[in-house]
Amino acid sequence: MPYNIAMCSDFFYPQPGGVESHMYQLSSKLIDRGHRVIIITHSYGDRTGVRYLTNGLKVYYVPFAVIYRESTLPTVFSFFPIFRNIILREKIDIVHGHASLSSLCHEAILHARTMGLRTCFTDHSLFGFADAASILTNKLLKFTLSDVDHVICVSHTCKENTVLRAALDPTTVSVIPNAVVAENFRPDPTRASPKNITIVVISRLFYNKGTDLLVAAIPRICSIYPTVRFIVAGSGPKAIDLEQMIEKHQLQDRVEMLGPIRHEEVRDVMVRGHIYLHPSLTEAFGTVIVEAASCGLYVVCTRVGGIPEVLPSHMTVFARPEEDDLVNATCKAITAIRRGSVQTGKFHDQVKQMYSWTDVAMRTERVYDMILKRENDNLLERLKKYYGCGIWAGKLFVICVVVDYLIWVALCLIWPEKTIDKARLWPRKKRVDDVPETGGIVMGSVDIGSKVVPVVGQATSSGVEPVGVMTRDGLATRTSVEREIATE
Amino acid sequence: MDNTSASPPYHTEVRSSSAQPSRSRHRRRKPWRKLLWVKQNYPDNWVDSSFLNQLQRNINVKPYDFWTLVADSTVITQHVSSVVIFVTTFIAIYMDKVGPVTVAGGSSVLTVLGYWVWDLGWETREKEERRLGEEDHAHLHIPSIHSRASSPGPGTPRKRSTPTPTRTSLELPKSHSRRSSNLSRPPSPTHSVTTPTITTTPDCTSSSSDAADATPVPPEARYGERTQRRLDTAKSAGLIYCTLLGLSPILKSLTESISPDSIWAMATWLFLANCLAFDYSSGVDVKFPASLSTNAAIMASVVLASRLPTTTHVFSLVLFSIQVFGLSPMFRRYLRHISWNLHVTTTIVLIGCAATGLGLVVGWGWAGVYVLVLVGGVMGGCSWWLMWLQRYKNEIHGPWDPARPVIRRQWGD
Repeated sequence: MPYNIAMCSDFFYPQPGGVESHMYQLSSKLIDRGHRVIIITHSYGDRTGVRYLTNGLKVYYVPFAVIYRESTLPTVFSFFPIFRNIILREKIDIVHGHASLSSLCHEAILHARTMGLRTCFTDHSLFGFADAASILTNKLLKFTLSDVDHVICVSHTCKENTVLRAALDPTTVSVIPNAVVAENFRPDPTRASPKNITIVVISRLFYNKGTDLLVAAIPRICSIYPTVRFIVAGSGPKAIDLEQMIEKHQLQDRVEMLGPIRHEEVRDVMVRGHIYLHPSLTEAFGTVIVEAASCGLYVVCTRVGGIPEVLPSHMTVFARPEEDDLVNATCKAITAIRRGSVQTGKFHDQVKQMYSWTDVAMRTERVYDMILKRENDNLLERLKKYYGCGIWAGKLFVICVVVDYLIWVALCLIWPEKTIDKARLWPRKKRVDDVPETGGIVMGSVDIGSKVVPVVGQATSSGVEPVGVMTRDGLATRTSVEREIATE
Repeated sequence: MDNTSASPPYHTEVRSSSAQPSRSRHRRRKPWRKLLWVKQNYPDNWVDSSFLNQLQRNINVKPYDFWTLVADSTVITQHVSSVVIFVTTFIAIYMDKVGPVTVAGGSSVLTVLGYWVWDLGWETREKEERRLGEEDHAHLHIPSIHSRASSPGPGTPRKRSTPTPTRTSLELPKSHSRRSSNLSRPPSPTHSVTTPTITTTPDCTSSSSDAADATPVPPEARYGERTQRRLDTAKSAGLIYCTLLGLSPILKSLTESISPDSIWAMATWLFLANCLAFDYSSGVDVKFPASLSTNAAIMASVVLASRLPTTTHVFSLVLFSIQVFGLSPMFRRYLRHISWNLHVTTTIVLIGCAATGLGLVVGWGWAGVYVLVLVGGVMGGCSWWLMWLQRYKNEIHGPWDPARPVIRRQWGD
């Protein structure tokens, strides 16, 4: 049975980032599987109202005040009227929130539960337990997640973290990893220098990305191997340390600083290297190392967070987050590449087998199936769950939920459901089960804003993988079109 | 849905690998692995028996020792007592029980004494510095390029001076940073001399020349430096003195339009802010500790002083407050640094003074209550309370914590 799903998060395009692309990819794959998906986010600049993306993915940009790093002001109740309107208009069954720092997502889940809808939450990041900000976020998370139907985490470490932070029953938490669009990260062995070994680093240059380790390790590796080159892409407050290091050790011709790059340029930078170095200090999943492996790079990374779960050992060299160990690991990787003992040519196909968004969508769908089968709690049972959150917090949460319920009753009286327009359905695609056999070519069409363009797709066991779009200039790949739409 | 039927069913019990009925079914399966890249025949919400086995609790917690806590709380006692001393002195002046000049004069004499002790300490510190430096050179044979190129920052010498047996590692960085700072400009504690600087300066110089003679190799530059330092101190003390003198009439009329009630309330809050924001933890090497705290106290004393009748009163009280809140914390820190016995003595003297002041101004009953609350409540009670609260300590660590990078510093800066 196809579902009507609303993805809610503060973070969505045009802002680039991991959560954003996760939501976009998952939504478009769910649409491919026959569901209807809308995305609810806050407005970005003058981008307010409704927009359509590829595949009829509808995005509601709700006007809201942004307080910090694109998070909206947590007002608890003010989002409810417009949220109810959208939900009823789109006949939503499941509200799926993303990212624990997004207050929009927390509010959406609370209101959805008040309205008796099914909810799901995906956690994308790891948090500590010690500092004040974490304690506050954890309490908020506990509030929202006391009554969520199911939680999805991107790695097993992330699951352990979330279970502890929100005091959840671990069986209500599923692990569904991120994925990469392997087609966008094809290797290109001709681009890498045949003489020198090039080490690529692509990361925002922040403390928690391990830039200090990088600054310490680069000169040592350069002095051990005189022919090794570095390419560093990304910007951030630690860029200055890196530049100072380059000047101090006179490595200007060996370390290339590219500055900030766009996500679609990542592949072109990656294929210039042989080894990808990832010195991060904390990471829930680390999509970038999967992208690097998909581009055929040998990965050197620190053994932190969820990283050890992500790639098999023949693609990676692990290091402790220590300068000496990182240098050792990199040296090991350089030796292995020189000797030719790693088959980097096969990485792309292997990664393609491991991670695909279609697989993620299938597993998410399974979660939806399960939560819709569950018995729905009545208000009293919900209040019991909230009450158990703590001596003071529990009472406060109960008050919030009761007020929310009363607001809902009032909203139902002021704007009865029948006065709200129902959105016209986007012409549904055929369900992929009808495609006869794997490997067949499927022709179809997609309506992008004003014009209808012909699409070429390939049937796989899990659905139709769109290959590209026919344009006047020939076959454009799917990603180039998405990119155009996403960035406008 | 056909996909769902193919996939393993979602399991509903926690740790079902240990549950009896499902065991036979699970035995055929490969053991679950904590990996994402491999497709496993387990549901996505599988909870393995290894779940949370990397969780560590309270690994960094070191138990507190009661007497150590009591000893550490003496700094709080000292500070609270000095605030009480200041307030009771103000009340005494306000009620005309004590002459303002007596107070300012007495405290200035104490300040000069304090400076003298501090200055003597400087000699010993310098001597020790030199001895340490020579020892280092003799023992370690640091290449000359290294030692010359690296500026005597706190990072580099720390490593070199570790083998010296005489001092603990905690004290070392402080003494080194002192060396580096006295090359340029004397640090702030040198402002300790206030009123009668001009008369005392020659004494200090003579005593210092004696000390300089006693040292094995007294370089001429060092002697000049020391005199220079004292002259600087005298200059800044004189400057503060004159400024205060000039400002006093203004300060006196500063709050004429404000009612005394507001002033008392304001002073109370400011003193509270002073006590709360005071930097109790730092050692001697801090240059300007807790400026918020010092500013609050000085402001409180200014508003209090503006209630007094004459310019002399105002001048004396503000001068006294600078000595109590600006200079005495530095001296107390220094005393604690050099000798534990002196520190304890100071604490007892301060509590005694505060209690006496309270007894004379408010009543001896209150003085007793004060001593009881401070010694029993703050030192004993709070220490015990902190230890008791440790039972609720629940520190959680695991693989999700941001790692602490380990970096060897010789390549970086």
